[in-house]
Amino acid sequence: MRDTIRFLKGGQVVELENVGPTETVLDYLRLRCRQTGTKEGCGEGDCGACTVALGRLVDGKLVYQPVNSCILLLGMIDGAELVTVEDLALDSKLHPVQAAMVEFHGSQCGFCTPGFVMSLFTLYHAHGQEKSRKAVTEWIAGNLCRCTGYRPIVDAALDACFDAADDAFSWRANETRELLQKLADSRDVFIGESDSFFSSPATLDGLAALYGQHPDATLVAGATDVGLWITKQLRDLPKMIWLGRIEGLERVESSPSGVLIGAMATYETTEEAMSDLSPDLGVLWKRIGSKQVRASGTVGGNIANGSPIGDTPPALIALGTTLELHSSEGSRALPLEKFFLDYGKQDRNSGEFVTGLFVPRPSSNQAFRCYKISKRFDQDISSVMGAFRFTIDDGTITDARIAYGGMAATPKRAEHAERALTGALMDDPSTWGAGMQALLSDYKPMTDMRASAEYRMETARALLAKALMEISGTAPDEIRVLAIREADNDRAA
Amino acid sequence: MKFEEPTSDNLFDRAMVIGKATPRIDGPLKVSGQAPYAYERHDVVEDQLVGYPLGATIGRGRITAMDTEAARNAPGVAAVVTTLDIDPLEISSFNNARLFGGNEVRHYHQAIAVVVAETLEQARHAAEMIDVTYEEEEGNFDLEKAWQNGLGTDEADAETGNVDEAFASAEVTLDETYRTPDQSHAMMEPHSSIADWSDGENMTVWTSSQMIAWARKSLAETFDIDEDRIRVESPFVGGGFGAKLFLRSDAVLAALGSRAAQRPVKLTLPRPFIFNNATHRSATIQRIRLAAGQDGRLTAIEHEAAAHEFEGGGNEENPTNLTKLFYAGANRRVKHHDVVLDLPESSSMRAPGEASGLMAFEIAMDEMAEKLGMDPVEFRILNDTQVDPMNPDVPFSDRNFVDCLKVGAERFGWSDRNRKPGDTRDGLWMVGHGMAGAYRGAPTLTSGARVRLERGHLTVETDMTDIGTGSYTILAQTGAEMLGLPLEQVTVKLGDSRFPASSGSGGQFGAASSTAGVYAACVALREEIARRLETDDVRFEDGNVIAGNKAIPLEEISADAEITAEDTMEFGDFQDDLEIGTFAAHFVEVGVHAATAEVRVRRMLAVCDAGRILNPVTARSQVIGGMTMALGAALSEQLAVDKPRGYFVNHDLAGYEVAVHADVPDQEVIFLDTLDPAISPLKAKGVGELGICGVAAAIANATYNATGIRVRDYPITLDKMLDRLPETF
Repeated sequence: MRDTIRFLKGGQVVELENVGPTETVLDYLRLRCRQTGTKEGCGEGDCGACTVALGRLVDGKLVYQPVNSCILLLGMIDGAELVTVEDLALDSKLHPVQAAMVEFHGSQCGFCTPGFVMSLFTLYHAHGQEKSRKAVTEWIAGNLCRCTGYRPIVDAALDACFDAADDAFSWRANETRELLQKLADSRDVFIGESDSFFSSPATLDGLAALYGQHPDATLVAGATDVGLWITKQLRDLPKMIWLGRIEGLERVESSPSGVLIGAMATYETTEEAMSDLSPDLGVLWKRIGSKQVRASGTVGGNIANGSPIGDTPPALIALGTTLELHSSEGSRALPLEKFFLDYGKQDRNSGEFVTGLFVPRPSSNQAFRCYKISKRFDQDISSVMGAFRFTIDDGTITDARIAYGGMAATPKRAEHAERALTGALMDDPSTWGAGMQALLSDYKPMTDMRASAEYRMETARALLAKALMEISGTAPDEIRVLAIREADNDRAA
Repeated sequence: MKFEEPTSDNLFDRAMVIGKATPRIDGPLKVSGQAPYAYERHDVVEDQLVGYPLGATIGRGRITAMDTEAARNAPGVAAVVTTLDIDPLEISSFNNARLFGGNEVRHYHQAIAVVVAETLEQARHAAEMIDVTYEEEEGNFDLEKAWQNGLGTDEADAETGNVDEAFASAEVTLDETYRTPDQSHAMMEPHSSIADWSDGENMTVWTSSQMIAWARKSLAETFDIDEDRIRVESPFVGGGFGAKLFLRSDAVLAALGSRAAQRPVKLTLPRPFIFNNATHRSATIQRIRLAAGQDGRLTAIEHEAAAHEFEGGGNEENPTNLTKLFYAGANRRVKHHDVVLDLPESSSMRAPGEASGLMAFEIAMDEMAEKLGMDPVEFRILNDTQVDPMNPDVPFSDRNFVDCLKVGAERFGWSDRNRKPGDTRDGLWMVGHGMAGAYRGAPTLTSGARVRLERGHLTVETDMTDIGTGSYTILAQTGAEMLGLPLEQVTVKLGDSRFPASSGSGGQFGAASSTAGVYAACVALREEIARRLETDDVRFEDGNVIAGNKAIPLEEISADAEITAEDTMEFGDFQDDLEIGTFAAHFVEVGVHAATAEVRVRRMLAVCDAGRILNPVTARSQVIGGMTMALGAALSEQLAVDKPRGYFVNHDLAGYEVAVHADVPDQEVIFLDTLDPAISPLKAKGVGELGICGVAAAIANATYNATGIRVRDYPITLDKMLDRLPETF
């Protein structure tokens, strides 16, 4: 058992004994260290002004990721290298990305600047990125700026971020790797008392035992949602258990039958496997939050928090995903759609937690489509999210799985529509009408700021039609909201 | 010094530093996180406590009781001040909604208590424990209803000729109504202050303000204390766009908390609190009528608009202002209704009036050109004016709008576009091109500075602010130019009420006014040096003062003791007999998705006429920043009003959607090489607000050209076009 957290900062190992259960990295930096270069612009991971870089070993390689420090818990940087804007300049000589931001006038009022600098720092250290405006805009989509109009920042990035890294961090990378390897241990971490603690067990059994003992504790994976419970909903969360050190939970295993995703696998680490399952999933994944959110947030967390507008559950339900749960009593598996019982209520027993999920790969006679509808392309919450898997034999739909988000209190299957479409003919749109009609009895969506009930219903029906048209070939291959990336390609072509 | 007549030839016409592309001198501080913003000034005063605000959760009514016992006894709490504890604070001459005090609630999230504690969490926790009992009153939150009732009532604000007759006899007319929504500044740094009023006597406020002198005056009026007892500092401001022109509740609550706890208090407005507690740009509804002959000459213009304001005023969003001046036409009537609503206080946001006015007017011009069968660029050129059309004796000092249009059309390839709407395809994208004109006044305000020369190094001190605009850099350039020094030998200190009062930053007046103030102080310094050398013929070059045939290093002149000088530039009445403005033409290409009506801007070009460009780097950034803010205004930004309950629903950065990287296409800015001798000795006008003007309409016009669907209700979201898309892909 260890009662401290340890991480690297400025080339030194920092060991902290005093770590509050809901203390954020941003507060640690600004209040404890008085390093105020990292800014708070919104406190909820929207603006990116608080971006810092975390260095971790991935398959033995040192990888830097941008993360929103305002919603990242301090205990979660255990075992990592923390890099902030103060760490970049060397003897008052600016880091290449800092110098480029000055030269290209990427900083005006300066408040978002440290966050941009850190996002660009991670791009500077990312290997093999395609040098293009779209790659840059995708990388820094999670950083808002209200002064510059972004263009000068993108220009700075194009100038500075695509040569081989040549800075203090690359020079001492070997040393950093060794230090990080030393920090990695298999001891449980527990800081605090039994009524108030931050803990990160090192094993599944350790987690089951601790959670069994404290079923009222909060489980946290990437904290991109739990962070907001703290900063925005002001919830009192005295007992915090982080799943990030349990070996194996970060696994992503692709096989011909599907993809096994551990509860700690992030959007980022699952992106490739999901794109491989379906190009539509690849597009969806890129549109979840921002680079920072995808680096921290997990697919498991997106499911376990039970949000009715989570981006991944409708797609995963339509694909026939199975969820694995575990507790000190043992393990069980259930179809994902059965997990969501009601608004804010999931089928999770006391002391039970999500360990992973299995997403079946669509077979050769199955077609899958999913679409996210939101007002802004990046960094936005779905108004409606629709996902469809049709099994088609000899031109007839023999099985339909349809799920929507944003249409009910939970992600929910459209059972009437599924039944009505079974037997429909792909080459005869007149046989689809019953399915479209049945959607009306599947959902009673609500009106809120994101969309009216009427818009939601109309859109849900349109998405179903779109999926059928695309799959049947009665319309051009893609009638979907193209990403700017694809639009660029269109133009290039 | 008084600026009494247009500038003749002067040293800026042979400038070595002014006008050169210079990266901002405060850049290195900002990219390394060393620039100190208000909330993180831990070093300025010891023993800081943290304050947290509580906001009202009704739109209008009264507070009958506040139970603070639990809050006062909560851990770490040093003081709780509620609005019932003190008499209503005075409303300063720059404010309209009362910032604190008394039992009356006049808008949602009005500050009603501040809790001061050792930590933010303790203060926030205790604030949550305060139990408030309200007596809610019905409020009026509906601009649309007020518009329907008010349309056609009231006298015109300005009228020339015979408008009704001109419309009756016109060959071509247009009569359409346009709508722009409430918008938020959404600057990246929230309103923040540290206040030390521990002794109840002298007050120091480290804050984030565009206007130091106004902030100080407002604090004095609000708390009814002598201005001399107040000091305000704001050296770095994380964006403002008008949000930080006037005193806001962060400074007031921090000061009250500090007095109560007898310790310094820092307080930042939480992001979700800002949208309803602070100010915003009012929504507008605008009816525009145009009349013209077949020759394309405008014969009559009528513009009637409504926006909402807080009782007592404050709304600057009068969209009809520009209509008096922008285009020729003998007959004209404009009328604006400021409707009092019980929403939070509407106030200035980047180009107040022109921003929303041009969003509507420049669509109307596009519609009219189409009715006339004319090219919209030609139509605008034909209707250009070199005088105030309602007062033809008043000329524009320097207006090159036609050149903006011509240069822009050529550079954009305007003549190659397809004039037929909905007729150009690029795969699944319908492609369209649009343009719009832009006009924004170029006001000036009295502005002072002090300069110190010591061992050949010049220090400029003024209470001017740099809100991301580049003030530090252009003021250093001005000082360097005047004294013949390299830029590295100039230090600029800003944002401190101990320095001479400047124009401050706002209304596009900052750059022109504050550089003129530094010019005046430098003239005084040069005169002092000449006096010491007992000559009146001096030049300043390469770090030397040249008197006759002798070159003396400035380092030597100021080696023993520093030489200081101070002066203030005042702008003479002759400017009142001129219209001084800035102009631009914007050209935009959009793609509209044929299946979903999603609009993507593909390229943007601005051509600007703003006099001498002091620094092409900072000026360009100002303009493309404005273009991007206008892109948000065109396509996504909208504060949604909850009409029954009276507040803005989407009050955070997740719900209020500003443009992101992926929304921003190729952008280019061209500055015409113009000079305006009537504005200041530097012949330079501001550009900070010009960049947002007209752009949204250019996007709207391009969207029309792409689809054939005319949307007159911003933002142009896909639901407004979906039902009129082409049947086939």
